[in-house]
Amino acid sequence: MTDPALLQRRLAALRAARPRLPAPRRDNGVVTGRQRGAAQAERLAAAVGGEWLDGPAGHVVRVEPGTIALPLERARLASLPGQPPADARLVCLDTETTGLGTAAGTLAFLVGLGWWEGDRFRQVQLLCPDHGDEAALLAAVDAAIPPDAWLVTYNGRGFDWPLLVTRYRLIRRAAPVHAGMLDLLPHVRRLFRHRLGDARLATVERELLGVRRDADVGGWEIPERYLAFVHGGSAAPLAAVVTHNAEDVRSLGRLLVHLDRRYADPDRRRSAPAGDLLALARGYTRERRHDAALGCLDDADAGWRLPARGSDVWLHGVASPSSMASPAVTVSRERIRAERARTLRRLGRPADAAAAWEVIAAAGGPGAARAWVEVAKVREHALADHAGALAATAAAERAAERSRLLGMPDPALEPALAHRRRRLGARLRRSGDDARPEDARAGPR
Amino acid sequence: MRTYAPAPVDAVLARLLEEPSLARGVVHHALVPAREAETVPLPAWVDPRIRGALAQQGIPSLYTHQAEALAAVRSGRDVCVVTPTASGKSLCYELPVLQALAEDPSARALWLFPTKALGQDQVAAFRALAGAAGLAISTATYDGDTPAPIRSSIREAGQVVVTNPDMLHAAILPHHTKWFQLFEQVQVIVVDELHLYRGLFGSHVGNVLRRLLRICRHYGANPVIVTCSATIANPGELATRLTGRVPLVVDRNGAPAGERHVLLVDPPIIDTPSGARGSALTLAQRWALPFLRAGRQTIVFGRSRTGVELILTGLREALREHGGPRARVRGYRGGYLPTERRAIEEGLRNGEVLGVVSTSALELGVDIGRLDVAVLAGYPGSIAATWQQFGRAGRRQDASVAILVASSAPVDQYVVHHPEFLLDRPPEEARVDPDNLHVLLAHLKAAAFELPFTPGEVFGPGPADDLLAFLAEDGHVHAGDDGRWYWASPDNFPASSISLRTAAEENVVIIDTTPDRPKVIGELDLFSAQTQVHEDAIYLHESAQFHVDRLDWDERKAYVRRVDVDHYTQAELAVTLKPLDVFAQAEVPGGRRHHGEVMVASRATIYKKLKFVTNENLGWGKIHLPELELQTTAYWTTLDGASAGWRRAELDVALAGTGRALQAVASVLLMVDPRDLGLVTQVRSPHAEAPTIYLYEGVPGGVGLAERLWARHAELVGGAADLVAACDCESGCPSCTGPRPPGGDAEVNAKILVLRLLAALGAAGLGNAPGGADPAEPVPQRAGLAASPVRITVPVRP
Repeated sequence: MTDPALLQRRLAALRAARPRLPAPRRDNGVVTGRQRGAAQAERLAAAVGGEWLDGPAGHVVRVEPGTIALPLERARLASLPGQPPADARLVCLDTETTGLGTAAGTLAFLVGLGWWEGDRFRQVQLLCPDHGDEAALLAAVDAAIPPDAWLVTYNGRGFDWPLLVTRYRLIRRAAPVHAGMLDLLPHVRRLFRHRLGDARLATVERELLGVRRDADVGGWEIPERYLAFVHGGSAAPLAAVVTHNAEDVRSLGRLLVHLDRRYADPDRRRSAPAGDLLALARGYTRERRHDAALGCLDDADAGWRLPARGSDVWLHGVASPSSMASPAVTVSRERIRAERARTLRRLGRPADAAAAWEVIAAAGGPGAARAWVEVAKVREHALADHAGALAATAAAERAAERSRLLGMPDPALEPALAHRRRRLGARLRRSGDDARPEDARAGPR
Repeated sequence: MRTYAPAPVDAVLARLLEEPSLARGVVHHALVPAREAETVPLPAWVDPRIRGALAQQGIPSLYTHQAEALAAVRSGRDVCVVTPTASGKSLCYELPVLQALAEDPSARALWLFPTKALGQDQVAAFRALAGAAGLAISTATYDGDTPAPIRSSIREAGQVVVTNPDMLHAAILPHHTKWFQLFEQVQVIVVDELHLYRGLFGSHVGNVLRRLLRICRHYGANPVIVTCSATIANPGELATRLTGRVPLVVDRNGAPAGERHVLLVDPPIIDTPSGARGSALTLAQRWALPFLRAGRQTIVFGRSRTGVELILTGLREALREHGGPRARVRGYRGGYLPTERRAIEEGLRNGEVLGVVSTSALELGVDIGRLDVAVLAGYPGSIAATWQQFGRAGRRQDASVAILVASSAPVDQYVVHHPEFLLDRPPEEARVDPDNLHVLLAHLKAAAFELPFTPGEVFGPGPADDLLAFLAEDGHVHAGDDGRWYWASPDNFPASSISLRTAAEENVVIIDTTPDRPKVIGELDLFSAQTQVHEDAIYLHESAQFHVDRLDWDERKAYVRRVDVDHYTQAELAVTLKPLDVFAQAEVPGGRRHHGEVMVASRATIYKKLKFVTNENLGWGKIHLPELELQTTAYWTTLDGASAGWRRAELDVALAGTGRALQAVASVLLMVDPRDLGLVTQVRSPHAEAPTIYLYEGVPGGVGLAERLWARHAELVGGAADLVAACDCESGCPSCTGPRPPGGDAEVNAKILVLRLLAALGAAGLGNAPGGADPAEPVPQRAGLAASPVRITVPVRP
């Protein structure tokens, strides 16, 4: 196939055989090279309300949306688990791309950045007017990210950042240096999974931030709009894409502010849904900040409200989606108290932990038997109270039996309890301890 | 004498040749003389740790071919190693890689094997060698089964990455930025079993390698490529076509071998008028059995799963007498569990397994050591595969025996009656055409997705700009303002729409409904699907039989169920053919030969149920499928002069028979399955206004077969005449001129007519082997085969 005439004939045959596609639209006549590039950049800038810049590596279109007031108490925010240090610079980042993968052929054609200047949130959006201008875009992004900044993203670890790394590697450059990354997606998942149907940013905006977007462009439309423009089509449909991105970046800022005000402020936190606080407490626990976790759980317990009638929370501990409207009831009080008891144990307060478990057990809920087991464990291992442990075990057995009679058997539990009872009994006999399994501490019969 | 007395192979063979009922079928007996080992000391620069490891494994010096490969790689030259089975080929790439890593642990190597199983074998062997050398080398297999958490560590730290072309194509290259540690440092690329990369698959792999080398260039790496091939006629050319670079061909085998007897056996004719012969399966068992009884390790190759099972059952039954070693004879084929296979391979190496009956699964580089006897029940389809299978028998010191038992298929008959074809001639050429426009364009998309193209950048046959401009018309790529070509399609992963092993983009998925959870067992392109998975077809997959219960043509799904039946199905295609473009043509005696592009419209009409072995017709059914169009390349001959003065009825028979004979010889010459070449004969071609015989390629755009046939026209005609003349039948038979057309005149002697037509086309006198190469063609080099075998005359009993 080195004969060009033959190649052309065969291409013509293929052309005739393939289905006819609408010819890509061309706005103006055939212009090539940098001249066309400049025209393309100018067209894009005009459509999206930005300016176009000509640099050694190509053109970039720069859009600067208006700043908004968005006060954020950094020191207070930093007290929340998983947050960057209070003095770290934060740069919010979100990209728009030609596809969803991070393979080599997906282009990030728009990089939106946002940061705080005092109480105001300032944004810049950088666009690539043509594939050939990507190096210029990437250089501009690099210049806009200070090396000491933490990047704030939404699924940036899974998508935006790996994609940008790929883009920089393609031009054989290092990706911008930065101090760390705060990906808010896992935070949202942990804190709000119990009451949000999904963790999409749009859901977060609607359910948490009270933001409604009118006439927003759908994510699936974005690649097509950009590619149509690159192929010579109109730039006008990209204006909505730029707005969409600006809102996304702004929402990153809003979400941080929401977290700060609602969960880092001790006063406002008390009114937060108990499920949020339970998740937050677990966040503190992961960082071994058990005091903070306990505080969260105390608030959750105190602020816990009775569920609406007809809710199945009593049975399953988790609300069905239909009861989402009252977010306070998506977790049961028993779960909160159990977490509180475990936290007390972690804090090295076994007597308090045992007491906390006893409260749960005394309430007689579905977890009563397991709560008695916990009482038994703490008494045996931390308090060396073997007789008390045996009594708690007996109480656990009674509770388990009651559950079974109510049609909620726990098949693994009862044999384990019998084993525990025999073991404790033998130990008591060995030590000659005065076993008094009918001790009044054993609770309800 | 005792039934199970151990005896050397030559003694057993001598005894068998005195047995009239067996000796009668021997049409040829050749002796390939023993060969001494040619060794050279390890070069001084080989790392002492590697030297130690080799010594530990009993390798004090290198065979000459190993040393040659090692030196070439060190000097930065690509190498193509072509030596027979079990000649220490793997060491030709293991050593250079080991040496490179011993010198620089940051170096990387990428190994490609056509299948997962082969890759795993080699990894195990290489790890053992590296371990013995005390080198901590991270060697990892990256394939579809690699768990996700391990994948990222392989990307970052794998020093030797072992994978297959499909993974490279669909998982590694599109994500090359995540593999930059590999691509920046890759020093050696190994492509093993090169000869398997032929036809359409090879054409795809050639493009995958183009993409691979393009990515390496992007990261500034310039790796050496080591290719290893079984013995084929054109290993260097194949390597050049696939890699785009000219390697040093290392084909002087330095490994020792004992002498080897090669026997070509034809089952005697049972019924002379019809030409029916005895069963190759039965005869293969009879030849194998005495060797097994004498305690000689024997492998029998069957051509299908059913064949393997039949032979296995027969041998075990016979060995049952007098408490023979029946349990030491095993089967080996696709469908056996990997652990079972490993156990059999191990048993063969350590001698516990005495005999194995296998499909071509054991023809590949699986390590089973060296055996005493190989019996092939049927011609495996190519000279190269025959020698691969023969090569399983071959001790370093003692004599070995290789026996080919022919079936009644025309190709088998041609081969055993032309010993010089198998013994003297170079094996087939492996044809690929990475420049096939359909294939090239598909990979050009994938390549543009991976990296933009600079203006004038060469991809394959030349600068890619014209092709990229073509792709730009559909919006797949876009000429950027910097002049480069960029991927600009919402199709976010063009590689996913290319399957390396099938032709069209659209495939029929084959779903096995036998297990509780139906599973996909394969895919077929549409052209193959209409004849292979139509409803009620028996579809053979990895030697297993499946019945097609339902074919949902619109959904492109075939639902199959595992069965075990004694027959197979053969579909008939109604084919119309229209030439579109002539690339080349020339006068030949009796007419003109052409090479060009054609449009083939085909529709599967009916299928026949044919009994295995005997090909007895058991019934037929209709197929209801829409017509398919295939744009491909073809070779055709118009018989303007040769057909002058013929009666129409006779010409019909002569054309069909000549076509069949040409098709058979063409498939032999080009090392392809006869199904890869379609046949159309037209008594009066509307295009040429003359009788015409077309051989067209079965895949869109072709893979270069037609062009080769055009070049080797004279050989084809001579070979066809020879096939027909040498056949024992009286008036044409399925082994030469093809089955008699239904309703044909029983008085017409097809054999005479076909020979007359071929003579008019310039076929020289009878006995002309297809050796008279076209003078325009360079004589292909003979690579790697042992020195010319010495013929010993064998009295062939009447």
